[in-house]
Amino acid sequence: MSVPVAWATAWRTWQMTRRAYPWSYAIGTVLPAALAIALAYLGYHAVGAGTVADDFTAGAGTTAYLAYIAVGATAFQFTVRLILWSAKALITEQREGTLGALLVAPAGRFPYLLGFTGFALTSSLVEFLALGVVIAAFGIAIPVSSPLGLLLGALALVTTVFALSVGLGGLMIAAGEAHISQNTVFILLGLLGGYTFPRSYLPEWARWCAELLPTTAAVDVLHGATTGGQSLADLLPRLGVCVLVAAGYLLLGLLYLPRAEARAVERTY
Amino acid sequence: MSLGLRHALRIFAAEALKQHRRLFGQPLVVFSMLVWPVLQLATTYYTLRPVATASPAAANWPLAADPERLLAFLATGTLAYAFFFSLVQSAWHFAFERTTGTLELLFLSPAGRLTLMIANGAGALMQNAWLLTCFTVAALTGFGVLSVSAWWMYGVVLLALLVPAVAWGAFLNSLLVFSRDSTFLYTILDEPLWFVAGVRLPNFALPAAVQVVGAVFPLTGSLVALRGALLEHRTLTELALPLTGLAALSALLLGAAALILRAGEARAQRTGGLAMA
Repeated sequence: MSVPVAWATAWRTWQMTRRAYPWSYAIGTVLPAALAIALAYLGYHAVGAGTVADDFTAGAGTTAYLAYIAVGATAFQFTVRLILWSAKALITEQREGTLGALLVAPAGRFPYLLGFTGFALTSSLVEFLALGVVIAAFGIAIPVSSPLGLLLGALALVTTVFALSVGLGGLMIAAGEAHISQNTVFILLGLLGGYTFPRSYLPEWARWCAELLPTTAAVDVLHGATTGGQSLADLLPRLGVCVLVAAGYLLLGLLYLPRAEARAVERTY
Repeated sequence: MSLGLRHALRIFAAEALKQHRRLFGQPLVVFSMLVWPVLQLATTYYTLRPVATASPAAANWPLAADPERLLAFLATGTLAYAFFFSLVQSAWHFAFERTTGTLELLFLSPAGRLTLMIANGAGALMQNAWLLTCFTVAALTGFGVLSVSAWWMYGVVLLALLVPAVAWGAFLNSLLVFSRDSTFLYTILDEPLWFVAGVRLPNFALPAAVQVVGAVFPLTGSLVALRGALLEHRTLTELALPLTGLAALSALLLGAAALILRAGEARAQRTGGLAMA
């Protein structure tokens, strides 16, 4: 593992983003999540008159609908942001014509992608402070039953998304397109991943599909550590699942990436 | 047929064909046409279900008491949003003409600028929305939630979606073609659009300020006409006001598009730069 490569990548991306697109990405993160929370807030008050249905309470283990949505929408936007940076790193090089140079450079792909995730993480933290202000402005209080569990859940989410991004990035350069693959992944994660509604709403086969998605267990931990009222001991099994799933995705991604790179180069030249 | 009109129609056909060939090559395009909106609809439905099926909900919003009618409400929102979003998407794609260096060629050619912008938008609309339209109509009919006053109201609905959407597309294309950071505008125009237009919530749930902002977007009016005609059994006279508003808004957007194109091109000739924002 080469730390200078990761550091140089993160620094380059930081400089580039700061100079060329200072606001695009920040607003692109805060706005969708803020609107999703606003939608829930308005629906909760105007339609539900401050109450929720019993099947939500049964599935989510809480009546705190708004806190549940706030955690879910934030986690979802965080996932989207990380995928947009890490998985799209390689196809951006391809589009700008620098993928060939990257492939012959004596720098490992793994630290390169880690550098992007590191950058995405740092910039997202700033964006999520802004989102925190939005959540506070709506007067939504988020209970935390296990601060350590919440921290580990966030770490698990980052790890699983990174593991997913390695293979997805390979898929993008091999196919030469990002728009359709990324949006399909986002929509599938949003529907099956248990972000903004309990998975008990889904039909049983869809719940099984959800277990195969990398982020599902991590989102369970995040909900469990907040509105779920679970202690760290309750959360450990799902955290274990996260580690296993992330390891599986990472292994597949690292095995597939060299093939994808070869395919991309053959297609281009 | 006058020579000018024939010329415009040929440009229209050529641009729409270009758009079709560029985007329709892969079978994956079905995803953006049909699979995304349907999955998005499911996510929205499930996310709103806890409040829509809460015990006091039926009193506040009678429609919410019936899951099928709630789904129909959200489905009409998804359909109208897909129309307008496919134009945001096409405008975003049009901005690639800058990156690939073909924008200069467009401005060198004798093709009418506004015709190009309208054709690009309309072409994208045709190929993105037809499948979802068929699907939505079939699904709504199957659920038995449609309540239409006359058969020709379907035509009115289609026009109320198509005309404002094309005007919106022409406006966006003109705006984005002169923008350096088109992704930014894409973000700004994608998410807030569904929020202010009442795609996923009834209008009464939106604060007054949001409703005022929403009135500026043609999607809001299109949705009123669409839901009124398909779900609420409104007649043409009952919908006259929103339809007139839509027509005025469409004319305004087309005028603004022509103005932006003229100003942008004049600026490009003077300064050599193609960016206004």
